[in-house]
Amino acid sequence: MSGALPIEVTSPTPLLELRGISKEFPGVKALDDVSFAVYPGEVHMLLGENGAGKSTLMKVLCGAYSADAGEFYHEGKRVAISSTADAQKLGIAVIFQEFSLVPYLDITQNIFLGREPRGRIPGTIDRRKILADAKRVLGTIGFDIDHSTIVDKLGVAQQQMVEIAKAISQNARILVMDEPTAALSDRETELLFELIARLKADGVSIVYISHRMAEVFALGDRITVLRDGRRIDGVRPADVTPDQLVRMMVGRNIDMTYPRHFADKPGELLLEVKGLSSSTGISDINIEVRRGEIVGLCGLVGSGRSEVARAIFGADPVTSGEIIFDGKTISGEPDLAARRGIALIPESRKSEGLALLRSVSDNLVVSALRKLFPSGLFDQRAAQRTSDGLIRQLRIATPSVRQTVGLLSGGNQQKVVIGKWLAAGSKLFIFDEPTRGIDIGAKSEIFALIDRLVAEGAAALMISSEQIEICHVCDRAYVMREGRIAGHLTRHELTEENIVRLGMHHA
Amino acid sequence: MREAAAVSTPNPLQRIPGVAMVLVLLIALFSVIAPGFLSAANLSNVLVQSTILTMLALPMTLIIMTEGLDLSMGAVLTLTSLCVAVVSLATKSMLLGLGAGLLVGTAFGVANGWLVAIVGIPPFVATLGTLGMAQGLSLIVSDGQSVVGIPHSVRDIYSATLLGVPVPIVMALVTYAAFHGLLYHTRFGTYIFALGGNREALRYAGLSPNKLLIAVYAIGGAMAGIAGLLMTARMNSGHPTAGLGLEFDAIAAVAVGGTSFERGNGWLLGTLLGVLSVGVLRNGLNLISLPSSVQVASVGVLVIVALFLDGLRSRA
Repeated sequence: MSGALPIEVTSPTPLLELRGISKEFPGVKALDDVSFAVYPGEVHMLLGENGAGKSTLMKVLCGAYSADAGEFYHEGKRVAISSTADAQKLGIAVIFQEFSLVPYLDITQNIFLGREPRGRIPGTIDRRKILADAKRVLGTIGFDIDHSTIVDKLGVAQQQMVEIAKAISQNARILVMDEPTAALSDRETELLFELIARLKADGVSIVYISHRMAEVFALGDRITVLRDGRRIDGVRPADVTPDQLVRMMVGRNIDMTYPRHFADKPGELLLEVKGLSSSTGISDINIEVRRGEIVGLCGLVGSGRSEVARAIFGADPVTSGEIIFDGKTISGEPDLAARRGIALIPESRKSEGLALLRSVSDNLVVSALRKLFPSGLFDQRAAQRTSDGLIRQLRIATPSVRQTVGLLSGGNQQKVVIGKWLAAGSKLFIFDEPTRGIDIGAKSEIFALIDRLVAEGAAALMISSEQIEICHVCDRAYVMREGRIAGHLTRHELTEENIVRLGMHHA
Repeated sequence: MREAAAVSTPNPLQRIPGVAMVLVLLIALFSVIAPGFLSAANLSNVLVQSTILTMLALPMTLIIMTEGLDLSMGAVLTLTSLCVAVVSLATKSMLLGLGAGLLVGTAFGVANGWLVAIVGIPPFVATLGTLGMAQGLSLIVSDGQSVVGIPHSVRDIYSATLLGVPVPIVMALVTYAAFHGLLYHTRFGTYIFALGGNREALRYAGLSPNKLLIAVYAIGGAMAGIAGLLMTARMNSGHPTAGLGLEFDAIAAVAVGGTSFERGNGWLLGTLLGVLSVGVLRNGLNLISLPSSVQVASVGVLVIVALFLDGLRSRA
């Protein structure tokens, strides 16, 4: 596999070539004899499920990890990459998902962190030069912003631009991007793609990690697929279909027809939202959810989807309107909403959904404490019983109920979040991006789980940026735009095209 | 991308930091209720008495910006003050006394930094440990007694003037200027923001966060050494409880001044205003003859009020 020759390319010598790279961690062979070449001015997509070895390969590439075995060649010459400084000298820069920016320094200071031009007095910074350099770099990438803006005040997309500026300022010839569009709106994504095209034209090579098929085909010149630490194949986008790529990634035919059993007729009304407005900028929201339904809530990032979820859950104060749940008007506190049977499965499960350092069992019972332990005393055996039941019911892969939740995979963590609300006897499940950061195999399982929940009489309101998920899983969907409901789509009208059309900003 | 970075609102509350409001309110309050507060002599007194705290609160700001803390500062100041007293008494030299104070203070600062950065002990615990050590050493050095009879060259520092300005104030102003230059105009200062804001960023830039961290704590220790000289001069003796509780006032001044305990968001001028707020409060309460126990409690209230005002501001 690794011996496969690089496929035909315009330039015969790769800018950078890795041969037979292996990297082992205690108990895991993270990279196993992986070869990988980057040619000048190409966008090289790196594909693989979570745990396939993409991140490790990236860290080897930028010198953060040193490989146990393997060779590096730069423009045909053998080189060593054993530190980040080595990688930087070769013009390799990485834009990590968690940005390497300092929040309370300005854009200029962040771009040149550690490389400040020296002033006349020892230890000081040459202000004039650093400002001129910053302006030049920002101009190069077409980022029109005041270079003295504090980074903490920037949005995610703008921070990413600063990261790119930082890389470009180091004369990076190879830019490694890890899921750069994960947190961007469609419009921001478009701007990023324009920038990538411009960088390419300047001869910069881009290694691009993505989980989005559409991007892989829109941007990629070549695709390398990793699975379980091995290189599976290198292909050109024109020669493969998305299904073929998915099969390479998972190594088996995954039933990507989403596991959903639509009910013949919807159940009784469970949630009714009338004219809801909140202090977070949503206004006049009208939504209905019936038992047995999965209702989608779509729209661009920032259109107010999460804010609607938070308002229904009582996490943000409501300024006007009414929320009727199970026949009763509700208001106020998350605590009350949870006790009445509304569950919020937040987007950032690590910070909002789980106590990462506690055990699976502790996390599973945390929302049901009042129900499980009415006397107020913690009963270890009752907790164990409940947890065991949920682990079986949700097929949570954990060595024991004592396992620390933070050590589980993303998919299993998500199941624990769902489990804790099941234990609390929730009837309405609000999912905010339920499949973010979860690999394909686990996604399908999460959807099967949601399907089972609603089949048993619960209901779900699902926010997702993956329109294809909404189309396959939901009974119907509301599309939001700028804090309002822009439209409603029945199951027959639910297509990606309709969602995009309703959600788009009018020019 | 052409979005405005931050939306500015016309709310005037948002422009004035809580600490400035607190300081103005305190001055207004004591002008009314404390006779003699506004006299030139008293105001000069407030400033002179705030100098020692300034010299601790400025380095404390840097330390807190690294998401750290130095609880040992007051105890280390006690020890360095005693060292100044003992050495200057023995050698009749102010400079040798200052040298001894600087040496001992810096040693404690380096020890704090080493414990936090290399050994990896949380700052709260590490500096609590060195606090105990400094306290114990102070008792050993002084044998529990005041060290008296120190030379005039030391004592005069507190009362002398330079071009009509009391020397302690000159020292505090020079310190402030030095810290301002250090934090906002040097590479090291830039890296202090990164120590609290994103240590990974430093590592990726090929810098050693650990060395930087040790340097920040060392600066704190060195400043405790210099402040120790002022303390000895002020008390005209070395006293084994001279710096008791000063770390509390220093941390309070930093907090009142709007420096955040997370993510490297610090403000030196705020700390200076915070020090003055603490100084005005203590002086004013003294003037209306409230006991020192009430003063300690009132500094606590001050912290809460200032942060409350800051909270109002960010929500406004």
